[in-house]
Amino acid sequence: MIKKIRRVFFIALLLSLVATTTMAEHLDEISSACTLTTLDGAPAHNLKELKGKVIYMDFWASWCPPCVKSFPFLNELNHDLKDKGLQVIGINLDEKVSDAQEFLANHPVDFSIVADPSKQCAKGFEVMAMPTSYLIDRKGNIRHIHRGFRTGETEELRALIAQLVMENP
Amino acid sequence: MPKHHGSYHSTSDLKESPIKPKKTLQALTSAALVLPGLLLTSAHAADKDRINFQYSRYQEGERNLFGVPNNLKPISADVLHGSGSLSLTDRTKFFYSYTQDTWSGATPITIAPLAANSNNPVLRDNPFGGTTIVGASPLINRTVQLDHDLNPLRQDPRTGQITGQDSRSVMVLSSASPETRNQGNFGLSREWNEAAVNVGGGFSMERDYKSSFGSIGGRLDFNQKLTSLKFGSGYTHSEIGAILDHDASPYITKTAYARQIERKGGSEILRGDRQDWTANIGLTQILTKSALVDVSVGYTHSNGFMENPYKVMSVIFIDPVALNNNLATPISGDMRALIEQRPNIRNQLAFNTKYIQYIAPFDAALHLNYKFTLDDWGVNTNTFDANWVQPFGNEWTFTPRIRYYSQDAASFYQPYLFSRQTVQMNKFDAGKLPDNFSSDHRLAGFGALSGGATLNRRLSKGVNLEAGFEYYTRASAMQIGGGGGNSFADFDYYVASAALKLDMEGVDTSRPGAGNSSHNQHSAAHHQHRIPPAGIMFGHMLDKPGDFMMGYRLMLGRADGHMMHGSHKVSDPVIVEQGCSDTSPCRFTPTYMNMRMHMLDIMYAPTKWWNVMLMPTFMDMDMNLRRLNKAPPPVPGVHEHQGIAGHETGAVGDTYFSSLIKLISIPGHRVHMNLGFSAPTGKVDIELRRMAKVDGGLIHFGMQLGSGTWDFMPSLTYTGEKNRWSWGAQVSGVKRLEEKNKSGYRLGDLAQATTWGGYDLTRWLIASVRGAYTWQGAVQRDFDSFNARIGPMDFPANYGGQFWDIGLGMSAVIPGGRFAGNRLGFEWIQPVRNDFNGYQLDRKGMLSATWSYRF
Amino acid sequence: MKEIHYVMIKSMLVVSIGLTGCVNVAPWERGNLAKPQMALDPHPLQSEIQSHNYSSREAAPSHKSSTGGGGCGCY
Repeated sequence: MIKKIRRVFFIALLLSLVATTTMAEHLDEISSACTLTTLDGAPAHNLKELKGKVIYMDFWASWCPPCVKSFPFLNELNHDLKDKGLQVIGINLDEKVSDAQEFLANHPVDFSIVADPSKQCAKGFEVMAMPTSYLIDRKGNIRHIHRGFRTGETEELRALIAQLVMENP
Repeated sequence: MPKHHGSYHSTSDLKESPIKPKKTLQALTSAALVLPGLLLTSAHAADKDRINFQYSRYQEGERNLFGVPNNLKPISADVLHGSGSLSLTDRTKFFYSYTQDTWSGATPITIAPLAANSNNPVLRDNPFGGTTIVGASPLINRTVQLDHDLNPLRQDPRTGQITGQDSRSVMVLSSASPETRNQGNFGLSREWNEAAVNVGGGFSMERDYKSSFGSIGGRLDFNQKLTSLKFGSGYTHSEIGAILDHDASPYITKTAYARQIERKGGSEILRGDRQDWTANIGLTQILTKSALVDVSVGYTHSNGFMENPYKVMSVIFIDPVALNNNLATPISGDMRALIEQRPNIRNQLAFNTKYIQYIAPFDAALHLNYKFTLDDWGVNTNTFDANWVQPFGNEWTFTPRIRYYSQDAASFYQPYLFSRQTVQMNKFDAGKLPDNFSSDHRLAGFGALSGGATLNRRLSKGVNLEAGFEYYTRASAMQIGGGGGNSFADFDYYVASAALKLDMEGVDTSRPGAGNSSHNQHSAAHHQHRIPPAGIMFGHMLDKPGDFMMGYRLMLGRADGHMMHGSHKVSDPVIVEQGCSDTSPCRFTPTYMNMRMHMLDIMYAPTKWWNVMLMPTFMDMDMNLRRLNKAPPPVPGVHEHQGIAGHETGAVGDTYFSSLIKLISIPGHRVHMNLGFSAPTGKVDIELRRMAKVDGGLIHFGMQLGSGTWDFMPSLTYTGEKNRWSWGAQVSGVKRLEEKNKSGYRLGDLAQATTWGGYDLTRWLIASVRGAYTWQGAVQRDFDSFNARIGPMDFPANYGGQFWDIGLGMSAVIPGGRFAGNRLGFEWIQPVRNDFNGYQLDRKGMLSATWSYRF
Repeated sequence: MKEIHYVMIKSMLVVSIGLTGCVNVAPWERGNLAKPQMALDPHPLQSEIQSHNYSSREAAPSHKSSTGGGGCGCY
């Protein structure tokens, strides 16, 4: 009896390990369900409005150390490439908004910060780890998904973004 | 277990003579059960880079001797620990740690019936009447009276009359001099997104036990990191070289180990080695948003020399004829001491489960842990512990904890043994004894309850202070399933510790314009003043109010070679006659002396012109002696140094605190003064163990760990710099503020003048040359309690002198990148000319190494 | 006594392995798990001292299972 249960559990474990999901490839597929609000709850960006810009979308939370480490880089990106058509959006996924607000009070940033209270955006984009950033080109295609953040990865990201910015819609 | 089996062994015919205490017990007692490599804790690779400094003190209470007078100090240990992690790349980390423990105190060497009176107090007649206890000598070869049921019988010491039965057992204690163990660990880890691999190694060294170990391990994450599988394995190889006490050895039967004992320099060394393999596998599983569980299984296989060579088993030999006669007269048992024997192999299996639950109303976490182990020695154990981690605001965390532990006795544990045979002409049949036997109370059945708490305070800028305390009590009655029947072995201890933890990375999301903002840029923006060579203390100041500097300094000094008088070499016969006193000529002289001083520098700038500094220190020293040529022959009753082992001391040293005040600060030139004080936190009453019925007394002045007095330490420093050149000068002094310390003397005052020049070899590397003149006074007054006076180092006049030294140094400031702000310095101080007061061992030089980091 | 222990341990292992398939915690729901008090070892320096002291006075093996797992689950 115990052996049977064990076998079932092992199979379930293996299945969960290898299960993969198909990833969305275009912004339009997701943005219908995804509504972003400001941290206070008022409606914010409609993602469709941003078509034509290169979007760097970063899902973050105040308790996630690599997210916090990526902020200076995002700030810099925003400052350098805003005029060239880059829109940096930090989508906060804190369960308690007060945590995010406290964090931002101590670490203010210039780029746009929004919240995803229903977590529909996160689910729509299939966020599997914290932090995850999505690079979306001017036509709305998701070109690159970056999971995690380490300071040595900035060069590669910057190059990729610069390339996307150069592309014409 | 020794190789002999079933053969006849001989024992000594010396009986009822006092045993001399053993040395080098504690360090091995801890190392023999602890396998340092198996305790590797690698910090989580996702953490920030850190450096930690920690000091802890372990103090046991007295063992139960059932009223027998005893003035032996209980076991205590001072532990110094430094560790940290360093990111070599984004995904690779390097871990390092160093631990140093110094143990001393009385330890049990065997268990005997209380009626045998083995803990023998040494009494000395008081000149004013009565007696005082001056020590204790363990007597391990005794005659015990028994009845026909083998119950020990109490005997009146004066009349010899049997007064009744007494089945109690008692631990027989022996004192030991301080011993130090050093351990270093290193590791490397590599992180991928859902996996990690780590490799580590290290060594542990003390005089009689050397270990080296290596390990590898890894982690695999599944299920979006909700499940982590961890595995690891390690190997330890240890070599034992136990120096048997020269005086104890004749009373201990060690024929079973005859092939492993080597004779060297007047000492007997019992050699053995041992190997341990370990493997473990674990699983961490997130259960809910607020709970997780961690389960692991570990297996350890050990083989080789598993005994503690300083522990003996009391075997009471009984004449079977006398036992079987039907008379009522008491039987005489002949108690001997045999080095314990344990199986050569040990297999241990451990299961561990941990459950962590977040308690939302308190923002706290409850950690529950259960561990179950079994092994083939019969020692099965259960451990339950619980921690409640409670944060208060952003800065404080308070964690009370409680733990209950229970173990079963090893199958071969016995307090003492009976053997139904007599010892004939010092021979007995070892085949009639069990294969394995040990009276080590740590293999007995008992329970233990402990409770404690940790308090953590986060200061600004990634600095954490942590203090911990725990009280532990071991009780035979607390064993699961009923008492172990060894309450005589119960004891308790407390541990107190303090630590400073530094995060090396600060996270700073300041506005663009400050560039890639981080501390790196900030400190590079500051004008980097060059700091003086590593051997200079109180040599520089912080400029910006609110700045913090943390540093570690190590100073290694050595004296060896010839004995000197003034500035000339001196021969043994001259030392014998003139180095000590008229009434007692010198008999021994030092051969070498090593000193290691660890200092933590903590500096803070409340204002631009005033800094405060705190420097706790930890000292350890070791040295050895030899007999002088033409010294008078040994006299019974007078302390003699025996065998090849030397002496060691080590514990907290004096603590320095001071105010630095900037006097002049103009471009290119700075002058500041330091008003410093030294608090006498270092011991000055360390004693040598009792030997051959003679007190050891206080160890000589040079091996005590501090000055014992409050001291004033002023200094005035000038530094200048221009282009690639830098230079400076300092005058400093130490003035003892008290007449005498706890042991009756005070160290001499000191004055020093030094000047240096430095040149920037590159933007970040400076080479320096320095000259120093030091005047030091001799020790004033003298010991007010017993010191054995065996050599020139025991006499106050043989301290101090004038010294001329040259220093050659290199220092580096890391200008940018990941490690910016770290400074390292080294300096070798070479004695050029010495003019010693009296008779001293030649100075060979000192190495200073410093690391500092400005916040 | 030993049999009970074996059964207990084995069932704990099986249950924990089995649970891996049942748990539903999204990556953004790990705020509580990321807190320092929820780390597998919140006071590693203290644990090391305790481990060292217990090992020198008790006969149980003191292996430490490799650290890792739990926490914020960040990449």
